[in-house]
Amino acid sequence: MPAVLIGQKSFFIFLVVVLLGYHLLRGRTAKYAFLLAASWVFYAAISPYYLWVIWLLTGIDYHVGRKIEAETDERKRKRWLVVSVVSNLGLLVAFKYTVFFWDTGVAVANLFADVPPRAWDILLPLGISFHTFQGISYTVDIYRRQIKAVDSKLDYALFVSFFPQMAAGPIVRAVEFLPQMAMPPTPTAQQIQDGTFLFARGLFKKLVIADQLDMLFVSAVFNDPSAYSAVACRWAVLAWAVQIYCDFSGYSDIAVGVAKWFGFELPLNFHLPYLASSIADFWRRWHLSLSSWLRDYLYFPLGGSRGSTFRIYFNLMLVFVLCGLWHGATWAWLAYGVYNGALMSLHRVFDQSLKRRAWAVRLRASQPWAVFAWLATFGQLLLGLILVRMTGWSNGAAMLEGVLGLGEGAKLVPATVPLLVLLGLAGHGWELVRERLPRFAWSWDPLRAVNAAACLAAVAIFSPGVSKTFIYIQF
Amino acid sequence: MLRGRLRRWRGPLRVLLAFVLLDLAALATAGVWERHSPDDYAARVVGCAKERRDIVFVGGSTVSEGIVPKEIVGANWNGDPLMNVYAVGLPGGTTSEFYHALKRACPEPPKLLVYGITASDLNDSRHEPHGPASLMSFGDTFDWAVSRPDSREWVVRQYLSARVSRASALWRYRHGIRMAAAFRFEELFPGACPASAKEARELRNYADALKNGDGYAPAAASVEQRYDHVKQVNGELPPFKFLDNYKTGSHRQYLHRLIRWTTDNRVSLVLVDMPVTADLEAKHAAAFAEYRQLLAEEETMRGLTVIRAHRDLVGITDAGFADTIHLNGVGATVLSRWLKGKLDELGREGTTDMPVVRAQAGDGKP
Repeated sequence: MPAVLIGQKSFFIFLVVVLLGYHLLRGRTAKYAFLLAASWVFYAAISPYYLWVIWLLTGIDYHVGRKIEAETDERKRKRWLVVSVVSNLGLLVAFKYTVFFWDTGVAVANLFADVPPRAWDILLPLGISFHTFQGISYTVDIYRRQIKAVDSKLDYALFVSFFPQMAAGPIVRAVEFLPQMAMPPTPTAQQIQDGTFLFARGLFKKLVIADQLDMLFVSAVFNDPSAYSAVACRWAVLAWAVQIYCDFSGYSDIAVGVAKWFGFELPLNFHLPYLASSIADFWRRWHLSLSSWLRDYLYFPLGGSRGSTFRIYFNLMLVFVLCGLWHGATWAWLAYGVYNGALMSLHRVFDQSLKRRAWAVRLRASQPWAVFAWLATFGQLLLGLILVRMTGWSNGAAMLEGVLGLGEGAKLVPATVPLLVLLGLAGHGWELVRERLPRFAWSWDPLRAVNAAACLAAVAIFSPGVSKTFIYIQF
Repeated sequence: MLRGRLRRWRGPLRVLLAFVLLDLAALATAGVWERHSPDDYAARVVGCAKERRDIVFVGGSTVSEGIVPKEIVGANWNGDPLMNVYAVGLPGGTTSEFYHALKRACPEPPKLLVYGITASDLNDSRHEPHGPASLMSFGDTFDWAVSRPDSREWVVRQYLSARVSRASALWRYRHGIRMAAAFRFEELFPGACPASAKEARELRNYADALKNGDGYAPAAASVEQRYDHVKQVNGELPPFKFLDNYKTGSHRQYLHRLIRWTTDNRVSLVLVDMPVTADLEAKHAAAFAEYRQLLAEEETMRGLTVIRAHRDLVGITDAGFADTIHLNGVGATVLSRWLKGKLDELGREGTTDMPVVRAQAGDGKP
């Protein structure tokens, strides 16, 4: 069966068939059973050997949820919760981190003896990083008595496997999704319209901006930074920032848009992340569903910002190290987590030391400071993104040299790159104007329709023949 | 009720309407996009069909690169000078494409049809998607699907995919729009996208040559390129995959149809076994042996006139080739002049059946 990857022809055919089938069917059970079967077909098309993973975890979390709810003994409730958390994290760790631990062990063992390199690999089941977190949040919320366990196996299975967001989020909470399932929602005119606009915008971001930037420039520079001039290296880092944003937020737009066509609302995953004025602000704008999950199910249970100073900074660092490792089981992602944890800690020190000083409060409220804070934050983000994209440590060092102007390369930037970067950031600019100048904060639907049509036309013309896999699907 | 439904779907309908308007705008300016990404199959067929031709050459890239029609002008055939010559060379095509092209390119049959044939034309291991997309009608596709079960699914898929892609002008002309954009962008910002702009310039020149000429529109690079120099630089044979897994049979049916077409339309037919490099023949010796045996069988069984334009007979060395199979500008001129002489000999009234003429034309030579 061909892979049904979003952005490919097979996906559009699949989507049309599923939408038609879903809306033509009558009755709650028939609709949800059809949608669940379609979601599993979608999963099997990409991860054919791993259907058992999602079936197993769905079964465990569904039954554990019911057990926790039925149980009155707190110790037993906790034991059931442990079953759910261990099952989800166990499979996640087994699939995602075995290779990392093995390679690290081999590297250490090689210090003392010759150990042959690994001759095997583990394929990652589709969306395992996302649906395991959904499963954990479901059982934890029941344990906390914030939600009731769902009665219907079908409802729970669809909540976990709903295909628009299964592969790369947003990570949906049971409290956000299950209440919408009481009756099969009929999409409103507004949902159909917004879904269309989001779908067109998502395709444009992914296929026209992200894939083109990668193909034209980003991959070439990151593969051989020493051949490029300092200006080209700086543009490459900026272009990479725009690429990863357009790739991931493009996927989220498509997922949210498609869900609207079924009548469901998914949480938004981004809010103009590159307008952040501090690193803490950035994590409140980027991949919101993951940030809020880590806050609610890891940071707060660890104690959050309560307790001793050491404990607070330990919590911050731990959350960001795990956030880095969630993205990928490599030393580079670990370093990215440490980098962000360190920045968050420094920001907290800075914030705490200045927030009681009147002159500092006045300064930080001024316009020039806002610009400075934005520039400083954006610079920190760009530096961190080198860690994520570099092909190896020496390659990362070469890129850093290039960015700092210490390299000797001469290749320049094609003029199309700044154009694509500007297009990729146009949404940020437009929203900024609307925020700062409320008289421009109008929305005229026909103009939005023309914008969506132009996005689709650009996709038809400029999308590469073969679309690249969404970056976050690999996480 | 209808108004309610329209209101419910107004968002997607507005998007669809705006998209259709953009699409119509692309369709209205199709000439611009076609100039930046010509469909060379369609352009040559349309170019040839404009008027009645005296000689039409058909064949693949060996014809498009290797026959210079103006060098053939004036050849005598049965006492008539042949003044109007056109070459329908379809790069990458097979005998099946040449048959379909012929039907459309010659609404008025020419006096003489010359098929510049080579081994890869008859290789059943390959198919050219450009054929079903640009040359075939529904009837042709149906006919193919019925008569050639080995490639039934392929031809239907290619035909339908091409028809579906024509539903949107933006999609159909996407490459032309990209090339036009690159060309203009480079004009506005020199150095912005040099590789794409170079490709766009070459395609514009190609489109112009196809539109105004006699079918001879060789790739700029291959006119000057010399295979002996390429070998010196690269040190090894450039890959030529069109003869891999060589087998014949299915495309051969279309050779028979082509012969039948000439008989039905009272058109003289000459096959020219096009010259290739010694390296290619050595590398694919079995394929060329099978192909030449097939050609000899057709010649014997159907009384075809075959000119064997072996490189040694024509006097072309590696210096006259651009690569292993295509002639460069000099090679093409040499071959075309030689061919004009051979056609003159063959076309002397009442001599086409004389064994001596066939021998002069290379009969029995490799």
